[in-house]
Amino acid sequence: MTHLTMEQLLALREPGVEPGTAGQRAHLEQCDTCRLERDRLEQRAARLRALPTLRPPRDQWPRVAARVNTVRRQRRIRWMTAGAMALAASLALALLVRRPAPAPSAAAPAEQLSSLQQRSRALEAAIGAYGADARVLDGRTSRVAADLEDRIAEVDQQLERTELAAPPGMGGADLMQLWQERVGLLDALVDVHVTRASNIGL
Amino acid sequence: MDLYPIANAESVVAQAREGDAAALEALFRAFEVPVYNLARRICRTTEDAEDVVQETFFEVCRSIGRYRQDGSLWGWIRTIAASKALMRLRRNKYRDADELHDEVMEHKREDTALRMDLEAALERLGETSRAVVWLHDVEGYTHDEIATMMGKTASFSKSQLARAHVRLRLWLGEEALG
Repeated sequence: MTHLTMEQLLALREPGVEPGTAGQRAHLEQCDTCRLERDRLEQRAARLRALPTLRPPRDQWPRVAARVNTVRRQRRIRWMTAGAMALAASLALALLVRRPAPAPSAAAPAEQLSSLQQRSRALEAAIGAYGADARVLDGRTSRVAADLEDRIAEVDQQLERTELAAPPGMGGADLMQLWQERVGLLDALVDVHVTRASNIGL
Repeated sequence: MDLYPIANAESVVAQAREGDAAALEALFRAFEVPVYNLARRICRTTEDAEDVVQETFFEVCRSIGRYRQDGSLWGWIRTIAASKALMRLRRNKYRDADELHDEVMEHKREDTALRMDLEAALERLGETSRAVVWLHDVEGYTHDEIATMMGKTASFSKSQLARAHVRLRLWLGEEALG
């Protein structure tokens, strides 16, 4: 007679009825040898559960507490650093906003254009340093900011087309108008972020 | 019902979530022994088991906010401990660069014809087999749960358990019947 294997005996201990085990169950009912083996298995498992509880030789809490405290300290420093950076960026943005945009003047068009381009770069750098992309905005602010960014992208495309189409040194009026529009849009975008920052107390 | 009940569990957990050091220590004190016992039954050395205790409670302190009160607190901590202990086994295997360690050691041990007590027999099992025996027969995990924790299949867990019981039977001097 073929007796049940250890794997089959173990499977019969599992809760639920596995398909295809009816024959094995029937064999177990009739076979003294397999029932004895199953009983030994049960006894072994019971003896395993009754093994004495092993106790830690040393107190591990001081090490766990020290590690938890270290991580907390590092996290606090990170938050403080992030807060200080956000504050500095907000101040920089606020200063830029308060500085008046270059007014149309009697300066030569080339100088005016260069001045607009410089201011455009400064505003972009300030927005980049503020990390506007990584910040959480409320729904309305987010929509306004996205709209401004879309319009800046459109102006950039127009600038590219105008610069390509016009011979060097030409297309001055159109270029000037587009750069003024770009600076105005960037100003507005900075304004959105500064307002948000002051609302949350940074 | 929790196997290791803790007094004022809800308020201790709430305070621990706020980062209260006394509450975190209360959690540690309530469960350090069962966590160590589980870790030591699975790991090869006392030092490894102590490391598992540290890693387990560091994880508990870090993620107590994710513990859902409707489940057993011990059940949640035990799963973290079991995962950490199994991770330690895997790490040791890679460190030893000896994937066949269990197999070789168990064959050597089979030649040792002596009757030993259950504690010694359990200790002589290969690490993976011992972990499966302990998690299944003592802690009550299912083969599916063990498979998930080990990153293996349920069939792997079943065959490890069967192999371990054949060896335990032999080493305990219980002759095969039939």
